[in-house]
Amino acid sequence: MTAQIGDKPVPACALAGVRVLELSYFAAAVAGRTLSSLGAEVIKIEPPGGELARLRSPCARLEDGSQLSYDWLAFNVGKRSVCIDLDTEQGLAAFSRLTASADIVVSDFQRLSIEESNRLAAIARSANPKMIWTEILPFGRGEPYQSYPATDTILQALGGHLFLNGDIDRPPVRIGVPVALVQGGVEAASAALMAYYHVVRGGPGQRVDISIQECIVWTLLNTTMAWQILGLTEMRGGAVRKERANRFYTRLVWHCLDGYVFFGPVGGGGGAAREKSYAALLKWMREDGFEDEILTRHEWNGDKQFDIPQEDYDAVTAVISRFISSKSTERLMTRAVAERILLAPISAIRDVFENEHFCKRGFYELIDDQTRGLTLAYPARWANLSATPLSPLLPSPSPGQDNDLLLERVETRTA
Amino acid sequence: MAGVFDGLKVVDFTWAAAGPIITKQLADNGATVIKVESRRHPDSIRLGGPFIADKPGINRSGFFADFNSSKLGIALDLARKDAIQIVEPLVRWADIVAESFRPGIMQQWGIGYETLREINPRVVMLSSSLYGADGPWARHPGYGAQGAALSGLHALTGWPDRPPAIPKGAYSDSVSPRFGAAALVAALIHREKTGEGQHIELSQIETTAQLVAPQLLQLQHDGVEAQRAGNRKTDSILHGVYPCSGNERWIAIEIETEPQWRSLLDVLNDSNLSEARRQSIDALDTAVAIATRRRDAFALMSELRTVGVPAGVAFTGSDLLEDPVLRARGHFWPLEHSEMGTLAYNGPAYRFEATPSRLTRPAPLLGEHTDEVLKDVLGFSDDEIARFHASGLLQ
Repeated sequence: MTAQIGDKPVPACALAGVRVLELSYFAAAVAGRTLSSLGAEVIKIEPPGGELARLRSPCARLEDGSQLSYDWLAFNVGKRSVCIDLDTEQGLAAFSRLTASADIVVSDFQRLSIEESNRLAAIARSANPKMIWTEILPFGRGEPYQSYPATDTILQALGGHLFLNGDIDRPPVRIGVPVALVQGGVEAASAALMAYYHVVRGGPGQRVDISIQECIVWTLLNTTMAWQILGLTEMRGGAVRKERANRFYTRLVWHCLDGYVFFGPVGGGGGAAREKSYAALLKWMREDGFEDEILTRHEWNGDKQFDIPQEDYDAVTAVISRFISSKSTERLMTRAVAERILLAPISAIRDVFENEHFCKRGFYELIDDQTRGLTLAYPARWANLSATPLSPLLPSPSPGQDNDLLLERVETRTA
Repeated sequence: MAGVFDGLKVVDFTWAAAGPIITKQLADNGATVIKVESRRHPDSIRLGGPFIADKPGINRSGFFADFNSSKLGIALDLARKDAIQIVEPLVRWADIVAESFRPGIMQQWGIGYETLREINPRVVMLSSSLYGADGPWARHPGYGAQGAALSGLHALTGWPDRPPAIPKGAYSDSVSPRFGAAALVAALIHREKTGEGQHIELSQIETTAQLVAPQLLQLQHDGVEAQRAGNRKTDSILHGVYPCSGNERWIAIEIETEPQWRSLLDVLNDSNLSEARRQSIDALDTAVAIATRRRDAFALMSELRTVGVPAGVAFTGSDLLEDPVLRARGHFWPLEHSEMGTLAYNGPAYRFEATPSRLTRPAPLLGEHTDEVLKDVLGFSDDEIARFHASGLLQ
């Protein structure tokens, strides 16, 4: 199956022919972006003049002196935009016509209140019973919690993740980007597609709601099991913490010559890979003249690792620390890759941008947005589908740029 | 009521977290998922705690259990050449084959995508790894904590005057499943419409780096590199995590509007707050921390919610299990396991109004369903199965 872009035939995307409407502030824009990259036609429904999220801080200053949010720029590429005033009869009629031709709607709690969502869902699902109406909510649908106020950080807290981050002598600390909203958005894309797949196979249209709190619970991986099974309340740690459900502390963040690396050389469970990694580290340390009896006093990753005293973990950490602090991140990673040592540099944003592995894999894709005078490389290729590659990136839309085209096409599609 | 994946057939070679969390979505929504392991290569997180009664054992890990609900488990030594006798009919049976080995391992065993496609042209294969199938680091082993470090999340977590704090968990293992499930279901939709199967390659670090896409754009346009800043957020009036009464009790509060600010003042009833706000953000943080210190975290959250102020207790694991919202939502599913007893498994974060998800069984014992699958799904006779057992293939 192929389509035509310019002169070249290119394989069609997996969601070619799927139409998505997006009522978003942030999380639903992430959902829309995910669906758009898989080839869906995603139409933003914005209020007249454009949505508030276009000015969410921090903003890029454009050549014409206007500003545009980096969050917005990141998650709205490749979409269409129509501006509709949903507070008017005329606007609701246009919305109803659009929904008749759409397969999926994605919405979020920062754009629509529960009451607004109820009202618009009734219109959409009446116009199109096969519609998948997708809502991203802090706690999901249900009384009384569906209207509790929340923000990204509040949801990091209520999902149990915040408690587990940061140094023990200070308050818990959030992840410094809105992970809850992004994770909720991607989860919504995935769940909407599951429901749509069912429609394609003859199932009914339906409402799907996503709880961001539950999305965050899923980032913990073993915390609720650790409590049930061991009565263990995991505690946060900074560079040093109790890994997995351990009762002892180990260092996981290490200073090196030019930054930090993440590395769990001892006491982490996880079997053969950890044992081989530690053996490879010891080999390198010996080559460099770092010998110490403590390095081989125990099988640090063996069955008895749980019985090793804390002071021995501290002692072996001191020796390993001296070794790592004598090396650069590049040297550490080069040797790590060659010898299968389980470490990684803790990359700052510039490191991510310049990462050789990403660049060689063609991860970044340039968008030349001539309208705005912006040429930016996007972290675009998040998956490789052999028959249906991700959609090539196109600039994000200006407010209402597709009003004429889409209303005309909607009339045609639904005639 | 039918699940969205009723009738879907999945061979699951995935292990650890990122892969099994994807196939769990399929299993918890009606698909038949057959998880393939062996005594020689068990899923590695069977070896990681927490273990039931604190006693390690191959069928005793709660860590493993949570990601493998609703799946059948078979034991098959894939490293043996004669494993193809069983792999081939499995692949012929399947709609999806999922794996998360280091790139190159499936080909080494003679069951790479090209081989699978010859057996079953309609199959959708998902390969999930930390770094992706090619590139300089493709063969480098690692876990989701390395993924969080390489994708920029780790460096953005913590205090500016301290080394970066570790985001709890193998974080990229919890990001890539959402993307992976979206790509996988999109491929199923494509197959449903066209009959065409395909191979999906997924890299944990590339999916996780999507979370810092805005910061990557900002770096390029402004030259400004985002830094970790503790709990500081400059576009809010107040944004922080404050102590409450009791041991290690904390509440996160965020004030974005003036009406919310006035409501906060009403609830905290502390005359120092307005002056502190005029002074500086640091002074305000300190004043709020003094005002919350003697409050009960849960009562304060409830009061603030009532007046429309976003607030959340920093929940612990036990708080989550007792949270009235998660309970009302039916997030936790009690499932009885023959060796681990009844545990509350995490269910999905989404709810389908017409086709509810359902966790149908606990995680499988290693090889628990080997004979059942070989006989009932693949149609081998009792004699053939006995012969496979005798040869050591099914360990």
